[in-house]
Amino acid sequence: MADQKNSKPLLTGYMLSTQLMEIDGCNRCQECMKWCPTFAVRPDRPGITPMYKNARWRELMAKDHSLRAKIFGGKPLNEDEMKAFTEDVYYCTTCGVCGTVCEAGIMTVDLWEAMRPNLVDRGNGPYGKQAFFPKLVKADRNPYQAKQEDRLCWVPKDAKVDESGEIVYFAGCTAAYRQQALGVATVRILNKLNVDFAMLGKDEWCCASAMVRTGQREVMAEHAVHNVDALKDAGAKTVLFACAGCIRNSTVDWPRWYEGYIPYKNVPLSVFLRENIRKGEVEYKIPLNYTVTYHDPCHNGRHLMHEIGKDWAFEASRDCLRSIPGVKFKDMVRNRDLQRCCGAGGGVKAGIPDLALDMAKARVKDGEEVQADIISSTCPFCRRNIMDGRNDAKSSIKVLDVVELMAASMGLDTTIPENPYTKFQEQDVLVCGPTTCKVETVERKEPGKDLVGEAH
Amino acid sequence: MAFYTLGLTFNLVIFLTVIVLAVWIYGIYFNFKKWGLGSTGYHDQLRNSFWLFLATWIHEAFKDGLWVFLRTVVLDVLLLRRTLARSPVRWVMHMSMFYGFLALAALSGLGLMLDIIEHFNLVGLAHEAEAVKEMLALPFDIFGYLLLIGATIAVSRRIFLKFVRDNSSAYDAFLIGAVFLITVTGFYAEWMRGNSFLVGNAFEYPIYAPHFALIHTVLAIGLFALVLPWSKYIHVIATPMTLLGNRGGE
Repeated sequence: MADQKNSKPLLTGYMLSTQLMEIDGCNRCQECMKWCPTFAVRPDRPGITPMYKNARWRELMAKDHSLRAKIFGGKPLNEDEMKAFTEDVYYCTTCGVCGTVCEAGIMTVDLWEAMRPNLVDRGNGPYGKQAFFPKLVKADRNPYQAKQEDRLCWVPKDAKVDESGEIVYFAGCTAAYRQQALGVATVRILNKLNVDFAMLGKDEWCCASAMVRTGQREVMAEHAVHNVDALKDAGAKTVLFACAGCIRNSTVDWPRWYEGYIPYKNVPLSVFLRENIRKGEVEYKIPLNYTVTYHDPCHNGRHLMHEIGKDWAFEASRDCLRSIPGVKFKDMVRNRDLQRCCGAGGGVKAGIPDLALDMAKARVKDGEEVQADIISSTCPFCRRNIMDGRNDAKSSIKVLDVVELMAASMGLDTTIPENPYTKFQEQDVLVCGPTTCKVETVERKEPGKDLVGEAH
Repeated sequence: MAFYTLGLTFNLVIFLTVIVLAVWIYGIYFNFKKWGLGSTGYHDQLRNSFWLFLATWIHEAFKDGLWVFLRTVVLDVLLLRRTLARSPVRWVMHMSMFYGFLALAALSGLGLMLDIIEHFNLVGLAHEAEAVKEMLALPFDIFGYLLLIGATIAVSRRIFLKFVRDNSSAYDAFLIGAVFLITVTGFYAEWMRGNSFLVGNAFEYPIYAPHFALIHTVLAIGLFALVLPWSKYIHVIATPMTLLGNRGGE
């Protein structure tokens, strides 16, 4: 038993007073338990489900803030209990399906993200390798220990990318250093559509999503303010995102930390491309004869559906996929706002990799159930994790980004130029001839370099 | 029929009711103050205040305007839209319990008021008050049955559905069992008086009817008024406030 004499009290400062009320609003209907993707792969641990976490928080708070405590004095917190509770709170990808199905209307994503910094300040959180996030990001401005000067090292020499302009493509760390096929496909499509766009280069810093998700907010302010100012300085009116984590943070979190006026609009790349498809500006050349399904990333799906609308959050990517000739589109059983999380979010990929892997395998199984050849998504982190799950399950299913599928069908050259990060590339890519495309896997030449895995 | 029995006088009952109400109000204040331990905004400092909790809640509830607030009141609080979306059976259960409970609480309050009018013959309306009390018997029965349906579904789910049963705590069992017990004792007290809705005189036992009615009343007041602010029953207050504060939720 851990020493309890000098036990610190449970901290509540990061929680809104209405969030403390929400915890008492849980009526224990158990609906969250039926949908929780972590509980689905850890059925022996009901403590990780929202209903139990709420109950536990109530019990912990009651030690100092109940009628009994008022009359007889508070009780010290048991550190073993706190450790177990912290583990339960971090065994969560903050996917938010519990909030979608909650009968009491509890905003669970915000609730978990408010609980975590209290645990961090008390010295209980974060969990496992998540503790490296702030250190890495503060030192390098990205979680991959890569050079900021190399942010655009993957951009093909013949591609046209401006330094400023009304449209800015915010690529994100993963497309810049680990999944460059996504970046190249995006740049090629925008060039093909004659869209004048800029990129921030070394002025693009990590969106810091992983810090907020894991309750380590101290780096967030600096990154939010820097990125917003850099986008403003570039003259952005529209910022395009092909990364769900980045757009979530840019839309929800940065404004919480930025005090000035934000003049630009955050737009998912799939929405921008759909507009071009509707205008008839996208010309496809090669049919992709695959059955494709779509995995809705939590970050630009459930987390953003009330900010940007369900059409932008869920339908735009599907419309892009349906527009590709030859593609037979099939939704998985769990889709849109009730989708099953891939397992990478909330710091779980870095903190509890075995949990992330089991969740990814469950999602791969969802794809197999609808006989999909390809699981597509618009989130590099989902893609990374689903690929890991696919590899571990030895499934034949392929995992690709919607943008890459479009670029391949448009007949664009998506070859990644040789660069210092070529050896870290590991992704499925479409290799196309004049009339057909075939999916191949690019294997990582130098494994084990990512200290914290994927960072969202 | 005599109601005040076992040494309880009218004045004593009124006194106890005031005590219970005071404890209830203090309980609500206590919870609001506890919720006030949170902050008022994303970066705001802690203020630890009952009033700032209320201010934060009002700010959140009306963030999207009066129309959204009213829409949430009707669709989410009164019609339990979110529950219906997930499970029609649970919706029937909650609606029955919610409206049964609210209506019985309101009718009980009205009954107490009529008792006071009758006892003190206020503005000479003692007879009229007695007549109105007689008329309340039918709505009491109807809403009682409604609550009984809800409570029966709740108890049955916890007993017969394995997943629900496995994840039920002793706390759940006690509270749902208590609701069921209060409902059943209420019915039995009514049936003992005789000439009851649906069952007629099958359970008539007028001598002990007041005693049983008293047991029911003590249970109901004890659990709903005294225990509510200090237990899971607080969700009766916190859930609608959460729905309103979050403008209907996700």
